[in-house]
Amino acid sequence: MMFAYELEKIMYEKCRFAFFALAATFAVLAPAAAATIEMDVNGLVCAFCAQGIEKKLRAFPATTDVVVSLEKKLVALSTKEGTDIDDEELRKALTDAGYAVKTIHRESESLDDVRQRIGAKP
Amino acid sequence: MLKQPAGVLAGVLLAFAQGGEAKPIAFANGTTVMAEYGAGTMEETQAFYAPYYWLSLGGGWLRTESDIDGRTREIRYLRANYLVQRWNLDDAQANVFAWGGLGSASSNAFRGNLLDRNVGLQVDYETRRIYAALMSDLHESSAYSQRIDTLQLGFAPYPHDYKDLATWFVLQARSYTGGLYRGVEWAALVRLFKGGAWVEAGVTAQGKPQLMMMFNF
Repeated sequence: MMFAYELEKIMYEKCRFAFFALAATFAVLAPAAAATIEMDVNGLVCAFCAQGIEKKLRAFPATTDVVVSLEKKLVALSTKEGTDIDDEELRKALTDAGYAVKTIHRESESLDDVRQRIGAKP
Repeated sequence: MLKQPAGVLAGVLLAFAQGGEAKPIAFANGTTVMAEYGAGTMEETQAFYAPYYWLSLGGGWLRTESDIDGRTREIRYLRANYLVQRWNLDDAQANVFAWGGLGSASSNAFRGNLLDRNVGLQVDYETRRIYAALMSDLHESSAYSQRIDTLQLGFAPYPHDYKDLATWFVLQARSYTGGLYRGVEWAALVRLFKGGAWVEAGVTAQGKPQLMMMFNF
């Protein structure tokens, strides 16, 4: 009886160790999520002028890529893994570029997926 | 300094449908260089840097040649362009720009150089398919006063997107004061732009060429 109890205790400790080891392994190996941020923007009618938006957003150190769609009135950007850009900073960047931001939202899909969804060119 | 939308005024601007030129301020921290050949009556080059989306600073060179008596003027100027108001609408943008500056003018009609004073105004309205703008540019000195008013109405055969080639067909009416030209000079233009490059070419009703190139970077 005593032996069975000890065996069960040992098995429990081993399982617990294996669980934490597995969790720690995933935590190290799994990449921190990169953010994809979408902004609905008013006044976005001219490709010539949308340059300014792209330039502003690419100036953020966290930015990895930017997509602008005049048709969807959408500006989207991706950030480096584990980083994000504050809504207020994004709003200020768009305002400083001369445009009005309607909404800012974050998406789980990659920027390439966003680009495909809206039919934007790379 | 945030410019707020106002649909009613934008509608009025569209109703006026009075045309102009490229915007004198492209975007914040951007540089714009432009050269225009206006059917032999005017030629102009400009270079501006915009520290903000509502202000650009720079200079230009303007040469006019009277279609009436052959008098020429050359004006070299420094100018500030200011975005007075912008309306960012759902599917359109409208702007009012104003500018002012000082320069030096020479001519075959007077000796030496005179101080040139320059003021101007541009009102424009734009969707992805329609463009309308009016520009008025006044130069004055103790020896002359000349104003160039330009109206442009543009139509895009297809809605372009960012990084696409944009194509516009533009009808232009231009009038000159100060003995430069009698009547209204009409021109039909094709405008193409992609990335930071803009090329516009056409011909006036008198068969003279009209060209413009602009680069933003």
